[in-house]
Amino acid sequence: MTEEQRNLVSILLRVGSVLTGLLGWHYLAVAVIKDPGILVSPVEVVSKAYEMMVTTGELYPHLFASSIIFFYGFVLAVLVGVPLGFVMALSPLVRDYVNPWMTTLYTAPRIAFAPILLLWFGIGAGSKVAIVFLGCVFPVLINSYYGMRVVNREYVELARSYRLDRWALFGKILLPASVPFILAGVRLAIGRGLTGVAIAEWFGATEGLGYLIFFAGQTLNVPTLFVGVAVFAALGIIGFEIVRRVEKFATPWRGQTQGS
Amino acid sequence: MAGPVLELRNLNKEIPRPGKEPFQIFNNLNLSVREGEFVSIVGPSGCGKTTMLRVVNGLMPHSGGEILLDGKAADQVSDQLLMGFVFQGASLLPWRTSLKNVLLGLEGRGNNGQEAEQIAKKFLDLVGLNGFENHYPHELSGGMQQRVNLARALAVNPRILLMDEPFAALDAQTRSFMQLELLRIWAETKKTVIFVTHMIAEAVLLSDRVIVFSHRPGTIKSEFDIPLPRPRDMDIRSDPQFLHLENQIWKQIEQEVKAAGGFAQL
Repeated sequence: MTEEQRNLVSILLRVGSVLTGLLGWHYLAVAVIKDPGILVSPVEVVSKAYEMMVTTGELYPHLFASSIIFFYGFVLAVLVGVPLGFVMALSPLVRDYVNPWMTTLYTAPRIAFAPILLLWFGIGAGSKVAIVFLGCVFPVLINSYYGMRVVNREYVELARSYRLDRWALFGKILLPASVPFILAGVRLAIGRGLTGVAIAEWFGATEGLGYLIFFAGQTLNVPTLFVGVAVFAALGIIGFEIVRRVEKFATPWRGQTQGS
Repeated sequence: MAGPVLELRNLNKEIPRPGKEPFQIFNNLNLSVREGEFVSIVGPSGCGKTTMLRVVNGLMPHSGGEILLDGKAADQVSDQLLMGFVFQGASLLPWRTSLKNVLLGLEGRGNNGQEAEQIAKKFLDLVGLNGFENHYPHELSGGMQQRVNLARALAVNPRILLMDEPFAALDAQTRSFMQLELLRIWAETKKTVIFVTHMIAEAVLLSDRVIVFSHRPGTIKSEFDIPLPRPRDMDIRSDPQFLHLENQIWKQIEQEVKAAGGFAQL
């Protein structure tokens, strides 16, 4: 197969996957389950989404609330995670000091922290941002740490051979070498951050996509439930696409970036 | 006549081992390199040639003896970056273009901006990479990457060029072309070169003098002056004198390999 043929096959497979998935879902809902209280057809989800976005516009306050929470938690996680990961990579003392807590917090189920954070930060934005932060910070931190730890020794030797000082070693070698790792961490953080938003908004929220889903589930409003889930999925896809573009821009030297 | 550019006096290197005798890498090295001389170092695998190069370049400390650069102890002049190192793997930074990779060495000297860029371009031209300034390493062939590696080392205007088996990873044909290129560049820049290689023919083709290392702990076993006329080309490889030298050096290395326990040890 030529390159072009492979690309065509790749595109056809992806489109085909989406179409067959939606058709299967539709068939399952309309012909097999036949109970809109359990599963609704994608057609109904789309029409509900249309209603919420165009007719009533009721989706937007939720979308906006969730986006703000996500944004603050995510940005804070990057601002804390990247430098802390670097410092841990460069200083064994800091690493040993931080490690026990990092391991504990990272491996404990985040949902268990939600009530505690709620208690500390109240039911406002603070606790929600904290939950999102907790979800995002570890992948970013761990990847920044490893990115800097696994820098090719040849490059470090090169820097020493040409007598770069420690700042130049950091800025010209270690940092650029870590960028792909950091971006991979950011990619993971997007998924975990969105999960964080959903969890955060299940506890004592009055708006947001998580609240929307939770409330729709409680009131057996299945179409709205699916709209909420679909919007979360869409946010994840958009986030991944943004990171992919940043990757392409920030690391042009990698030639072909990994497929989406 | 001026004194030697580089002088090693009783240089040795050992690695301490807990509860055991230290591990001797090389021992009692005495070597003196003249201005503009091309010296190759050959020897059995693991004899400490590369380590010696790294010690001379200040990447590793030595355990005893002296390294003199222009008659001064090397640790007193090391910050002035008097050496250029050509690595075995090209060691190019993948996120930098050819030009920026060459600039790295200059940046280490605090040399930035327009002037540095002119210098970097000049040396990329010299190694035959005019037009490839903005290519990333992954867009270059192995031979081209080694050219950038060489340009980077030359751009810092080193007192000595240290080359650690720079053509080892290249295919035989590219390797031959690179040897000729190195001869041309060396003639143009008149640098003092210390060249480590496994390949005896390569050493004879390029050098004024070939040093044979013994097996570990490495020390200088013998030296061969290579009086072949310059400029040299590939035809010289069938010259009787060339073949004779190659053969003599091979015998020296063979002895060392046998003394170290035979070919099976390789």
